[in-house]
Amino acid sequence: MLVNVWAVIRREYLQRVRSKWFVAATVGGPLFMSAMIVVPAYFASQGSRDAREVAVVDGTGVLYERLAPQLAEAGWDVREERWRVNVVTELREAADNNLLGGFLLLDELTLETGEGILYTKDRPSAIRQVTLRSTISRAALEYQLEQQGVDADAMLSGGELRIEMLSEEGADIEEPEFLVAYIGAFLLHMVIMLYAVAVMRATLEEKTNRIVEVIISSMKPWHLMLGKILGVGAVSMTQMGIWLLSGVLMFTMGLPMLISARPEMASMAEVIEFLPGFGLLALFGGYFVFGFFMYSALYAAVGAMCNSDEEAQQAQWPIMMLLIIPIVMVTNVIGNPSSTMAITLSLVPLFSPILMWGRVAGGGVPAWQIGLSFVLMLFAIFAIAWVAGRIYKVGILMAGKRATLPELLRWIREA
Amino acid sequence: MKDTGFAIRLQGVTKSFGKHTAVEDFDFEVPRGSICGLLGPNGSGKTTTIRMIMGILHPDEGSVELFGANPDVTRRTRVGYLPEERGVYRKMKCIEFVTFLGEIRGVRRAEGKKRGLAWLERLGLSEWADKKIEDLSKGMQQKIQFVGTVIHEPELLILDEPFSGLDPINQDVLEEIVRDFHSRGTTILFSTHLMDQAERLCERVCLISNAKKVLDANLHELKAAERKGVVAVEFVGPDTWLDGPEIDRIEDTGKELRLILRAGADHQAILHRGVQSGAEILRFDLVEPRLHDIFVRHAGAGVVGDAGTPVGAIPGGA
Repeated sequence: MLVNVWAVIRREYLQRVRSKWFVAATVGGPLFMSAMIVVPAYFASQGSRDAREVAVVDGTGVLYERLAPQLAEAGWDVREERWRVNVVTELREAADNNLLGGFLLLDELTLETGEGILYTKDRPSAIRQVTLRSTISRAALEYQLEQQGVDADAMLSGGELRIEMLSEEGADIEEPEFLVAYIGAFLLHMVIMLYAVAVMRATLEEKTNRIVEVIISSMKPWHLMLGKILGVGAVSMTQMGIWLLSGVLMFTMGLPMLISARPEMASMAEVIEFLPGFGLLALFGGYFVFGFFMYSALYAAVGAMCNSDEEAQQAQWPIMMLLIIPIVMVTNVIGNPSSTMAITLSLVPLFSPILMWGRVAGGGVPAWQIGLSFVLMLFAIFAIAWVAGRIYKVGILMAGKRATLPELLRWIREA
Repeated sequence: MKDTGFAIRLQGVTKSFGKHTAVEDFDFEVPRGSICGLLGPNGSGKTTTIRMIMGILHPDEGSVELFGANPDVTRRTRVGYLPEERGVYRKMKCIEFVTFLGEIRGVRRAEGKKRGLAWLERLGLSEWADKKIEDLSKGMQQKIQFVGTVIHEPELLILDEPFSGLDPINQDVLEEIVRDFHSRGTTILFSTHLMDQAERLCERVCLISNAKKVLDANLHELKAAERKGVVAVEFVGPDTWLDGPEIDRIEDTGKELRLILRAGADHQAILHRGVQSGAEILRFDLVEPRLHDIFVRHAGAGVVGDAGTPVGAIPGGA
């Protein structure tokens, strides 16, 4: 009997993977994402490329050595100019003759206020202004702190907070990664919905074009539903696998290549700090798979009980709500991961994929809660499959108007 | 499992949709190896009956047996079912589609592909094998679907209006194929509203009208039994003798009058009356009735039009 489930999975998978849409989304997704990161960075750095050398007139005698490496890294072409009488007039002349892009004037006041003056013919871009300003003030601050005998590097890099747990619970908590928590939660919401709705559409299409009558004559409805879900699931795995792989390639090979080709884009390497580790990626995959099974079964049942796209649009609302609730709650839950409400909600199987993920990635969740969420989701999958399978069995062959709630309950009881 | 010798057996089957009764107290049997036509106008309950046999609908009352038992998946898989409403995966290639339909019924992919290609060749569709189904014409799609129906070499073919939508040439091709299956021992049940088709193909016919069975018999025996039912006459003189209780209605074919007699009527009495009336009777001929005539005699005029064109279809039926 499983031979025909396999046939359905294979058909669903190949049809989807070969479609233009799949190719476009799979290849286009990473391209779009990298374009989102690279293109602005490229243009930001591009703006400086034709700017000419900038002379730095360091009246303090201590700032230039601190400034130069950072400015060079940010794409400024700088050279030092000794302070002397008439230096401003000379440099202005050089700039007028296009021998110089401009010059930066630093004096004793800079050491106290971080203030400097840039003489230039072309107003620099906002981002270049910010880099320059912060570099100057940081250099001044470094100098002042060193004068006081303070470890300027440690202080200026944001200090450090070590956490010593007073209780056993939470000892295995990971470092908080709020950004990963948020982005991951939204991504989970999106991909679960994307692929679960695909199951609904596939079901509906088979029903409306009547092919289902022929297929059901040769296999159990439950097997067809299983085949559809596994087929679309396999497609989702392929697609996300490709995305993940291209992401890994981008950060391990693409980014270093980019930076070595264009040193002025070196700051992009900081993105790597925000990337989730292997453990979180695996957890993401786990919550996706479990969430997909729960929601795709529900969506399959919706597809089976409807006769048209319009009907399905309306009928899917209750299930859509189940996916929206955790997204509404996620900020709160990530913010207060140990509150009773956060713990309770994140253990509700239909919310776990998004909320428990958010809590774990945001930090503050003991391992037993993660384990419990998976156990509960597993039970939920069986319960949902049982109910959805019954609705599917009756609905898939039912024509006429959409089923009402009492009818649905009768299907579940009698199927 | 007891073998009843019937591929299909319906007993006392009733199915209603709301207030509309689609099939009422229906008894019906298809012996193994026979070729049987399910006839009736649109909306008479043919498709509902077939859907109950295929387990798509469940009867309100009565029982449906397939190969002597419940029509469960294992038994349904031994059937090749072509539904009335044609459905295909439009984006699939023809050969992949028929291979898939074989695969879900246990035909290995390589074998299914081999058979599929042979069938496409036979139907003149070889060059379309790797084209997407949506690129084919309606008629060609229908042929692809037929291939999908027979790809697993079923013991029983259930074809719901297989000829509708095909041009006369392809109707002949399909008729030939159906005959071929029959000669190789496949049991065949098909529904049609085209009486001529049924008359050419069927061993047995079952006539339904208004959800009820009106006739169920071997076609040859039926025709023999009904032989006294239609008289062709040509005459000169008065026609008052044609007005009698034996005659249900009269059809004028242009060169002769066809008297459709009521069941059990005595044609001798009509002839006797004619001679007495003084008319000169040139011809008084008991003709073999067309299936169409038989149906009209049993179901009543006005249900079926001439030459297989249905009129007065009952709305709302499936």
